[in-house]
Amino acid sequence: MKRSAIWFVVFLAALAAAAGGLVYAQFDAGYYSQRNPGAIMQPTAPEETDGATYGVTAYPLYPPGLAPGPGREDVQSYCSTCHSTRYITMQPPLPPETWTAEVNKMVKVMGQPIPEDVQPVIIKYLQTHYTPETRKP
Amino acid sequence: MHDFPEVSRRKLLRTAAMAAGAVATRGFGSVKKLFAQQSEVPDNEKLLPTFTGPSQNPYWNSVGPLVEYPQKSPLVLLTDRPVQLETPRHYFESTFTPNEAFYVRWHLDEIPNTVDLANWRVSIEGAVDRPLKFSMSDLTSKFKPISIAAVNQCSGNSRSKFQPRVPGGQWGHGAMGNANWTGVRLRELLEAAKIKQDALSVQFQGLDKGKGPEGHASNEFLKSLDLKNSVLDECIVAYAMNDQPLPMLNGFPVRLVVPGYFATYWMKGLSWIRVLDKADENFWMKTGYRVPDNPRGNTTPEDVKAGTVKTVPISRMPVRSFIVTPDGGSKLVAELPLTIRGIAFSGYGSVNKMEISISESFSAVSGLTTKKWTAAELGEDHGPYSFRTWTHRWTPSRPGRYVLAARATDGKGNVQPDDGVWNPGGYLWNRIEYQEVVVGRSS
Repeated sequence: MKRSAIWFVVFLAALAAAAGGLVYAQFDAGYYSQRNPGAIMQPTAPEETDGATYGVTAYPLYPPGLAPGPGREDVQSYCSTCHSTRYITMQPPLPPETWTAEVNKMVKVMGQPIPEDVQPVIIKYLQTHYTPETRKP
Repeated sequence: MHDFPEVSRRKLLRTAAMAAGAVATRGFGSVKKLFAQQSEVPDNEKLLPTFTGPSQNPYWNSVGPLVEYPQKSPLVLLTDRPVQLETPRHYFESTFTPNEAFYVRWHLDEIPNTVDLANWRVSIEGAVDRPLKFSMSDLTSKFKPISIAAVNQCSGNSRSKFQPRVPGGQWGHGAMGNANWTGVRLRELLEAAKIKQDALSVQFQGLDKGKGPEGHASNEFLKSLDLKNSVLDECIVAYAMNDQPLPMLNGFPVRLVVPGYFATYWMKGLSWIRVLDKADENFWMKTGYRVPDNPRGNTTPEDVKAGTVKTVPISRMPVRSFIVTPDGGSKLVAELPLTIRGIAFSGYGSVNKMEISISESFSAVSGLTTKKWTAAELGEDHGPYSFRTWTHRWTPSRPGRYVLAARATDGKGNVQPDDGVWNPGGYLWNRIEYQEVVVGRSS
């Protein structure tokens, strides 16, 4: 083959590559990620009766992960009588004195019987993991 | 990313092909730019953080996961027991919030799963001459039905915007909803029971119950209104919400509707209407849901610490407005017209003026003086206590970052302020809200 013919083929190939690139350059498609935010499964409808009772199925629980460390079991048992511990994890990082005030409020105002020797353990736990200085993402 | 090498390789090949195309048509200078553009391909791997703070929550909604609950579309989870769920932003494009998307907030964890209407009654008791009990069929057949469009907003809506942050439900802006409520006038029920002369207030209790010891706030949730309060004339015991039975989580079988007032008074599963001849001293009136006794309910952490803040029970909702779309989630196109949509409401009567400001730089945001307000178009008027939609057509003239702001004025002349409020309960937030948008080139 003549030298000029080879160059012509190379030139055609380059042109084809450029044209292909042009098509791609106009848009971008077909990307999927396996790291997704998660699916919500669909529940079934409850069985209905024709009586005068109206209702729904049990309300689902979504228990949060509490930071591991001393006092976690006390928090789990004493702070979940009336409410889920999501009440803790939902909060923004709060100053240590706010956590002290919250625990005192639960005991004195809300009437939760946390033994006196356990109260400081719970306060310490919350201050160790849920203040602006200590909270981890 | 390194977990999925095939994706990266493909991306690389594609970029190389694009580079070849770019070199052929625009020269080598454009290659670098192209690689930069590639990194803009959205990777659906970035999730919101699991909490915000100690700074302000920068998002419109709170950051919890979307979850499934009976009779509900996926809503944003705040807490699972008692249930607290927030309505995602896009539902506020319409005047009426769908029942299945309406936010949920309970105070106590024993909330009804079922109600037997054969036994359920709403009773009127206490300082009345004729204690009465009404069944659902009494309510629907013996009284004239009345409907009102009214916004139900949690006192702590937008609490996550407070600086410094305060403890409590960390709501974004979605602890609100608007519905057309139908039911019986509360006054008619009270008149039927004949209130005694010396009666002072009327207390409401619903079907929820807490596991705390009796006599404590953790056991019962009770709210009351003064009998002299003119809002009682507008109150409805509602058995329908947007022409449907109430969802269980929104207060089936009936809930109190207190137009213009924060939702704390809108008792869900209302079953006891108690007329009192003395002041209501229960926690939820005397200690909880109170705001500083000044026009905006404003104070400082220092004054709270000093114990000098005089408080009153929370009452009417200050004027608010929101930009619903565009939501900043996707880039806008220069020279392509779009409609900015939003809602506005006030507990003090109809919103009759809506303004929008579009600034082309960040610096223009700080301070009222630098904003130029133009009137937005108001949607249909559904009465003084309803959401009112508004729209504004906008053609972004050139690429860049823009800051949109919306400001409502209500019938009493109250204008949304440009600064936040602070009080320890995290109540009454109503400042002007901003939406940042990015506009890209159109060619």
